[in-house]
This record gives sequence, structure tokens and C-alpha cells, in this order.
Amino acid sequence: MRLSRVCSLAVLATVAVASAQEPYPSRPITMVAPFPPGGIADLTARPVAAAMEKVLKNPVGVLNKTGAAGAVGMQFVATSKPDGYTLLLALSSISIIPEADKLFGRPPAFTVDQFAPIALISADPTILVVPADKPWKTAAEFVEDAKKRPGQISYSSSGVYGTLHMAMELLSHAAGIKLRHVPYAGGGPALTAVLGGHVDALASGPAVVLPHIKAGKLRALAGWGDKRVVALPEVPTFKELGFPDAEFYIWAGVFAPKGTPEPVLAKLRDTLRAAVNDPDFKGAMEKIETPIVFKQGAEFARVFEADAGRLAEGVRKVGRIETR
Amino acid sequence: MAETLQNLALGFSIALSPVILWYAFVGCVVGTLVGVLPGVGPLAGISLLLPATFGLDATRAIVMLAGIYYGAMYGGSTTSILMRIPGEAASVMTCIDGYAMARKGRAGAALAIAAVGSYVAGTVSVVALMLLAPPLASFALRFGPPEYFALLLLGLLVLAYMSSGSMLKALAMAALGLLLGMIGIDQMTGYFRFAYGVVELGDGIGVVPVAVGLFGLAEILATAGLAAPPQVIKPKLRELLPTRREWRESAAPIGRGTVLGFLIGIVPGSAHIIASFVSYAVERKLAKRPQEFGQGAVAGVAGPESANNAATSGAFVPMLALGVPSGPIPAVMLAAMMVHGVSPGPLLIEQQPELFWGFIASMYVGNVVLLILNLPLVGVFVNLLRVPYPILYPSILAFCILGVYAVNGSVVDVWIMLMMGGLGYLLRKLDFETAPIVLGVVLAPMLEMALRQSLAMSDGQYSIFVARPISATLLGVGLILITLGLRPLVTRGLDWRARLALAEKGDEHP
Repeated sequence: MRLSRVCSLAVLATVAVASAQEPYPSRPITMVAPFPPGGIADLTARPVAAAMEKVLKNPVGVLNKTGAAGAVGMQFVATSKPDGYTLLLALSSISIIPEADKLFGRPPAFTVDQFAPIALISADPTILVVPADKPWKTAAEFVEDAKKRPGQISYSSSGVYGTLHMAMELLSHAAGIKLRHVPYAGGGPALTAVLGGHVDALASGPAVVLPHIKAGKLRALAGWGDKRVVALPEVPTFKELGFPDAEFYIWAGVFAPKGTPEPVLAKLRDTLRAAVNDPDFKGAMEKIETPIVFKQGAEFARVFEADAGRLAEGVRKVGRIETR
Repeated sequence: MAETLQNLALGFSIALSPVILWYAFVGCVVGTLVGVLPGVGPLAGISLLLPATFGLDATRAIVMLAGIYYGAMYGGSTTSILMRIPGEAASVMTCIDGYAMARKGRAGAALAIAAVGSYVAGTVSVVALMLLAPPLASFALRFGPPEYFALLLLGLLVLAYMSSGSMLKALAMAALGLLLGMIGIDQMTGYFRFAYGVVELGDGIGVVPVAVGLFGLAEILATAGLAAPPQVIKPKLRELLPTRREWRESAAPIGRGTVLGFLIGIVPGSAHIIASFVSYAVERKLAKRPQEFGQGAVAGVAGPESANNAATSGAFVPMLALGVPSGPIPAVMLAAMMVHGVSPGPLLIEQQPELFWGFIASMYVGNVVLLILNLPLVGVFVNLLRVPYPILYPSILAFCILGVYAVNGSVVDVWIMLMMGGLGYLLRKLDFETAPIVLGVVLAPMLEMALRQSLAMSDGQYSIFVARPISATLLGVGLILITLGLRPLVTRGLDWRARLALAEKGDEHP
């Protein structure tokens, strides 16, 4: 009995030593997408994982760990073993969730510093759309009208403190206007609301609204990027219009849990750099009309921190929402 | 019309090509399986299989995913009827009378009627989808939060017809369901309500673990508690088919369920569950012998099962005609189109006629496939009842746990299901019905969201509900229903006065 226990311990120890020495990666890697299949995180994670698999010649699987606006999956990665076998494909909301937790004084599901940023994969500025039968032809008219009628122009969003809510709040503060927020449970219902004319405006990623703009159902007024959206060259940016603080992107980046060894992180950075140049990956991103913006290491960390700071301030400015 | 026929011919030429036929068949088979497995509904099934379709072309992928969606509605009735376990959330109502029929040895008939009802509903609503999609879709878009709220309020009225026992007990159960539905993130302010630090509770209590726990687990526990094991039902082959009387009694419910399901289905939101609830209530209201409901009324199977199938086709109306994600499942299917480089939008039918018409035609074909697939399976499934309980029930339990876990990969959901199983057992012992709890859990978050969104839209003015024509109409219908419900009180009162008057007359003229 005792002998067998000693034996099994010895075996375990050998395995442990072996695994400490084996080259990375030597077993399947899991990429956690904290949103359900079909969402932008999932649609980015799958081609990224496929391209990584090609580069690493090692299986990379996508796991949709969903719930609580992404908090469940992000918490899962934050608390998993920092060995490079569990990665996270996160969206901008990664920096919003802990800030909102702070606002309500609840123990955070995770904090931003539990992650090591590896690389930025894509960044897509949101654009402001209104139903085509609304009177505003330009962003200037929209802002002017909003100033005249504070709290009267309504917009839908993917949810309170969600990315689409934050984009509008950043605009409101930059332009000194007050809009009426009607949150929906997700980007899909928010789009349905603006198409049905139940709200007056929506900040949205370009890809999902482009067909409706082309069909003449929605009108794009301006974008939150520092450059115009390629598919909509006639639509100005808020920066051009004199609101430099209205800058917002829905981005997707790959993270590892903090404490992942530097050689592993370096390997992952190289892998991702090769992966984003893979033709299949480029084709997949083209189909979902999401521009690839690759930044890694220190450069990504800087972008991430700046963005997190902007969003944290955005959340604080919104504050706790008190409803009547 | 000629153009439609021409387009349909194009569609059939695509749908009947061996490759597309094969993917429609695979989708239907997977859908049936997904429906049969307790807990795993069409959303989970489609989500899990979405990545597998990335390698296919758009038409194949959409045809297969749609097959899973409506296939699940066929399969969902199976475990509801045989074991009182809702195969997916929209089959909750089928549990009540379907299972009661099975206990009377009419499982085969219930399954056959569910399959035929689904077939009729599926086929008729595809015709409606084909002919009416563009005009109906613009109408569906006019359903904003106030309209949705009014519709859900109508859904709550359904409660009055759901219970066969005490109204007070039914209301108490509905209240419990509504309270359970309050758990989770407050969608308007971001507060966590009753989550006690469990992040998974942020999304609230799911319908699936509640339904599987309250119905399936409670049934298993109750059976285990019997002094003598229940008699194993040995169905005879000739008893598999519905009798002429059963056919006659299901014809009208199937028709009504189809129309109702399709109309509720086009409204953006999670409508197929509500469609089945409303259909059950309508059938009960219209039944000649409402006391049979809950005891194995065939209309209680035919109506809801047709309604949930028609609702799936209804949900495709805004999706195909306008590119609007009208619910979680159409949203996943729209994403599938985007992955294949098809921009879903108002121009889809024009720009991708082979996709649209191929899809429509494949739904005709798919419904036939499902009928052919499901009718013979009735015999197979019914034989499951021959399996002795000590083997059958533990395996069902294992499937329930697996199914509920698979939906979100969440152990918290499994715990919710187990707790609901215990609660369901207790409530059964105390003679409470559990269906109103499920209705409450389904309705509470939607009702609250719609109410508060409406008020956010109107800046707190309640007049928004009567100022908008559709919501005003719906509320008016609700008011009429309540008035009709109160009529027996009044008429009985008149009877009483009339009797008194008669008695007095009798006193005067002895």
C-alpha cells in the first residue's frame, strides 16, 4: 500500500519534471472566447486559432466560456495556470468590467493587471448611425440638435457599461451633449431597435451596419476612429469635426494570465505576428469586414493602457445609474 | 405570383441537388438529436456546430443550421412525452398532456401527433414565409419595447388558463417564477441582483436548468419515492397510431397553433417559448372539455408543438427579409452568413436569390425529411418505455446533467437544475403545479426589460403604452380577455339574483 503510494508519487514527480522541461507548446492550447459563437470575439478567435495552429504545428482550440457580459470567461483565464496553454481573446470590455465592479463596490471578477497582453489583432472604430428618415444629415446637425434638446435624442446600446454605451458616452462628454440611453441585451437587439426607429441613434461597428447603410435604411454621420472607415470614405471622423476626445475602437487582443514565463510570451508574440499574415486569416477577417491592426509587446501594452484609462474615466463619468 | 413560382423552381433546383439535400438531412438529424437530448436546445446545438460550418459555402451552412433549428422543435417533444423532460425550453407545455397521454398508453399517438403537427406547421409557415416575408418583416420591426411589453402582458394572462388546480396555487407559483427571474444583472443599471458574488448568476437563472429540474428530475424523484415501482408500459404496435377521434381533435389545434406560432414568431425576441405557452392556453380556453387538460388532452400536445415549429419559421422572416437578428438563434445564423462573406441585410433576397430561394425550398424538403425521420422513430422511442426503471432513470439523470452542462459549460447551471429538481419534488408532494414557475422565469426578465426600456424611451411617461397603436391594441385585447374572464362572476351573480327573484315570486303566489 505504502510502496504503491511512494511509487505513484515518484511517477508524478517525474511527469512534473518532464513537463517543466518540455518545449512549449507540447500539448493543445486553449483560446478562450468569453462570448458566444457568432459574436465578434468568436469570429476573430477562430481564424486566429487556426492560423496559430498552422504556425505552431500544435492544436489550438477555441473555447466559448460565456456569461455576465464576458466576465465569466475573463475570470476563468485570469485564474488559470500561467503556462501559455490557456489564452484569452478579449475585446475592449476587458477594461470596462473591473471598473464597473469598482463603481458598485463589489469584489471584482478579475482585474486588468491579472493579464499579460500579448498582441492586438484588430481594431475597428465605431460609427454613428441614425435611421434614414431622421432629420440629421450630418454629425454637426445631430450635435447641435442634441444641445437644443438635452436628453431628448435617444440611442440604443448593447448593454449598460457595454462597448457601444461607452462610445456614446465618450461622444457626449466630448461634445457636451446629453443623450437618452436605452440599453438592450446585446448588439443585435440594439441594431433592431434603431432599424425599427424605436431609438434615434446607435454607435456600432461598421461591418454590421454597412448593408443597412447601403440599402438606404440607416445613415452614417461620423466615426470614432482617427482615420475614416475604408468602406465609408465620405463619412468624417469626430476628430475632424473637432471632438478629439471622441475616440473609440472595438478591438480584439490576445492575453495570457499574468506570470506566464517570458520565453513562452515571446514565442506567442512571434506566432501571432506570423499568424496575422496568413492568407487564410486575412481572408477570414476580410469576410467579417474587420481591419487587422497588429501591435505586440510594449506597443500593445501602451495602446491597451491608454484605452483602459479612457474607458475607466468613461465609466466613472457615467457613474452609477440611478433610475427613477 | 409567376415570378415567385419561377424563383421557387430555382430554389428547388438548388435544394434538391444531392449536396444541399445531404446537408439539410444532416441538419435535421442533428436537430432531432439536439431536441431529444434533455437540456440541449437549438441555440446550444447551433452554437456548438457553427464552427463546423465555416468550411462550407453559405447556402450549405445556412440550410444545415436551419435544419438543426426546426429539427430540434420536432425532437423536443420526444422526451417531454415519454419522460416528462422538456427536450428544449419550448416543449415545456408538451410535458403536461404529452406525458399524461403516455401514462395512459397513448405515447405513440402523442408522438405521432406532435410530428404531424410539426410537419403541418413547418410547411404552412414556410409558404407564409415565402409569400409574406417582406411586408411582415417591416411590420415586425414596429414591435419596439412598448409593443413587446404589451405582448408579454398578454402572455401573463395565459396563466389563468394554465392551471387545472387552485388558481391561488398557480399564482403563487408564477410569483415564485417571476422572483427567480429577477436574479442577475439589472440590465438597466448594471447592478448584480441576488448573485451573492457568483459571477455565473450574473446572467440570471436559465430556463433550461429550471425546466429540466422542475419537470424531469422531480418526476424521477417522485417515481423513486413510490412504494411499488410503476408498471412498465408495454406499448402494442397497433396502439402506436392515433385513433380517428384523436386526429379529429388535433386538427383544429394544429391549425390554430400554426397561425399563432407564426405570428408570435415574427416578433423580435425569444418567441418560440411564448408561442407554445399561448397556444396551450388558447386550446384550453376553446376546448369543449377543458377539464381533460393536464389529464392527457390531445389538443394540449397538438397546439403547442405546432406553435413552436411555426414560430421558428416566423423568426426567419425579419432575418431573411431585413437582415435583422430577431432572436438569439437568427443572430447566430446571421453571423454564419457573415463568415461566408454574405452581408445579411435588406438586400439579401435581391442579391442572393439562390441563397434565399434555396433556403426556402430546403425548408419544404427538410420538413418532409423530418416527418419521414420521426414517424418511424416513434416506434423506436416508445420502446424506450420498456426499459426497466432502475436502468432508465439513472441514465436519464446522467443525460440531464450532461445536457444542462453542455449548454454553457457551466457547473452552476447543473446545481441550479439539481436544486430545482428538489424544489419540484417538494412542490409535487404539496400538490403545486410547476409550469407557472417556468412561465415566470421566462417572462420576468423580458417583461422587466421591455417595461423599463419603454419608460427610458418615453422619459418615464406611461402614456407611451397607449399612444402607440400596436401596443394599445394588444392592451385592449388583454382588457377584453380579463373582462370575459370576469363574466362568469357577473352572470353567476345574475343567476343568484334571478333565483332570489323567483323565490320571492314564489312567496307571493304560493
